[in-house]
Amino acid sequence: MNKPVESIRILVVDDDNDILLLLDKWLKQEGFEVITVTSAEEALKKLMLARINLVISDLIMQGMSGMQLLAEIHRENPLLPVIMLSGQATIPDAVQATHLGSAAFLTKPAAREDLIGHIKRALRIGSYQTAKGQFGKNIIYKSKAMSELLELAKQVADSDITVFITGATGTGKEVIARAIHDASARSQKSFVAINCGAIPEQLLESELFGHEKGAFTGANTRHEGLFQAAHGGTLFLDEIGDMPLSLQVKLLRVLQDLQVRPVGSTKTYPVDVRIISATHRDLDAAVENGEFREDLFYRLKVVPLAMPNLTERREDIPLLAAHFLRRYAGRNEKPVKHFAPAAMEYLMTAPWPGNIRQLNNVLDLCSTLCKTDTIPLSLVQKAMQDQPGGIQSLKDAKHRFERNYLLGVLRMTSGHVANAARMAGRNRTEFYKLLNQHAIDPAEFRRVKADESEA
Amino acid sequence: MSDEKIVVKIDPDLETLIPGFLNNRNKDLATLRTALEEKNFPSLQSIGHSLKGVGGGYGFAGMSEIGAAIEKAAKGQALGELKDLIERYGKYLAAVEVVYE
Ligand SMILES: Nc1ncnc2c1ncn2[C@@H]1O[C@H](COP(=O)(O)OP(=O)(O)O)[C@@H](O)[C@H]1O
Repeated sequence: MNKPVESIRILVVDDDNDILLLLDKWLKQEGFEVITVTSAEEALKKLMLARINLVISDLIMQGMSGMQLLAEIHRENPLLPVIMLSGQATIPDAVQATHLGSAAFLTKPAAREDLIGHIKRALRIGSYQTAKGQFGKNIIYKSKAMSELLELAKQVADSDITVFITGATGTGKEVIARAIHDASARSQKSFVAINCGAIPEQLLESELFGHEKGAFTGANTRHEGLFQAAHGGTLFLDEIGDMPLSLQVKLLRVLQDLQVRPVGSTKTYPVDVRIISATHRDLDAAVENGEFREDLFYRLKVVPLAMPNLTERREDIPLLAAHFLRRYAGRNEKPVKHFAPAAMEYLMTAPWPGNIRQLNNVLDLCSTLCKTDTIPLSLVQKAMQDQPGGIQSLKDAKHRFERNYLLGVLRMTSGHVANAARMAGRNRTEFYKLLNQHAIDPAEFRRVKADESEA
Repeated sequence: MSDEKIVVKIDPDLETLIPGFLNNRNKDLATLRTALEEKNFPSLQSIGHSLKGVGGGYGFAGMSEIGAAIEKAAKGQALGELKDLIERYGKYLAAVEVVYE
């Protein structure tokens, strides 16, 4: 079969199972990979999970219609080609679909050659436009900070250069990593993401490099690692700063040799993978403290990209808010909501420790709870409070700061209360009172020290 | 109407799909008949609509044609015409003979 179309994946949406079977057959014969679903709602779910190159959708379906699906898809990804198939294409439908960016509008029964022809044409146009540089098309911003960052990301995207992204949680590190992958020559191959901080060490090693059957207790089958899964594509190592030192050595070796050896294997396999890594930690400091290998750090940090916090680009908040609200409206088939002026002002001035992820969560809650079209200030405030990363009261914030401060000085003085009190500018009695209030036992810090020196 | 066979030529690639497909169409026939009895025009219209699409896709042009006619008649709530069409559809299904080539 002709090679280039092999890895192209098409999502087919139709509530008629016989149509799905037929299209599945036709498309597979052309060498396409096919995923079929029977509703627009399912289609949206699939689109979140799998990489899809083209969508074919029926127009009239139970629940969300094909036209709404088209609008929803293009809100997220304006370049994804969507072919509408309709039993009765009326002119207004066709016009609306074209307006919404449908690649083609065909009437059922569609002739096979006709459909395949349209698919091939749409795919060509899709890839042409991507190549032309619609970089990061679903990244929402207007701030200078973001446009400069994206400009840099775009310049390095179309090469195999190693990229290192820093930034607080929820600032969009993974979004950028994906955009870089999508704009690269590797875009037709996999983008594989792994959170190196969330997995115990032994598991992480076998996740990354794979293992042979019987490599350790519980390894009942051979397991292909993510390096191999990402072969030809991009491997996104999220929270790389949390990777244990022993694994850092192994990772460095793989990056130097471009070969992986699965756990328990005597063989090595060549891998061709572009590495993008990310961390919320200050790795310069981690290197200084000996928690992160310097040689690995320099190998990863070829092109550093620093994501600004949401509070450093507040002008993006209204845009992001509008984007998310449109998205929920599409999801729930409800009219798009908007914020009362006071509510928007509140959003613009809030601290957002969880950045865009938190903003998204808060807005999601607001839009679910709000029964009218305008979201009032009171609801935003309530949604913020229900957020774990949201605003805390001044009393709580002070309490937490004080506790951390006390722990800090005790750590620095190894539990020597007189010295700690002096650093804090308090007398010993006052200092003890504070420790009592926070139920902190200075002896703990002495013990830790003793344990360490014994070890 | 005659009892002649209606020969439909289908792509051999679709051979495995056809028995299931025709089975579903016979179920549609039953649903059409019930809908007719109940004068359920929306249901008649929707089945006609899907027959039009699916029939043509698989290469059953006659089925597609009848489906389109049912859809139209249901829109106009033309009971007599619907009765004839559904009968015609039953005969079509009975007479159809698939040749894979
Ligand atoms: N500029 C942006 N435009 C639209 N959505 C964004 C943007 N930045 C982040 N997001 C969304 O915010 C959430 C968090 O982003 P993510 O990349 O996972 O953050 P990180 O990896 O830094 O923790 C995701 O749902 C992502 O889609």
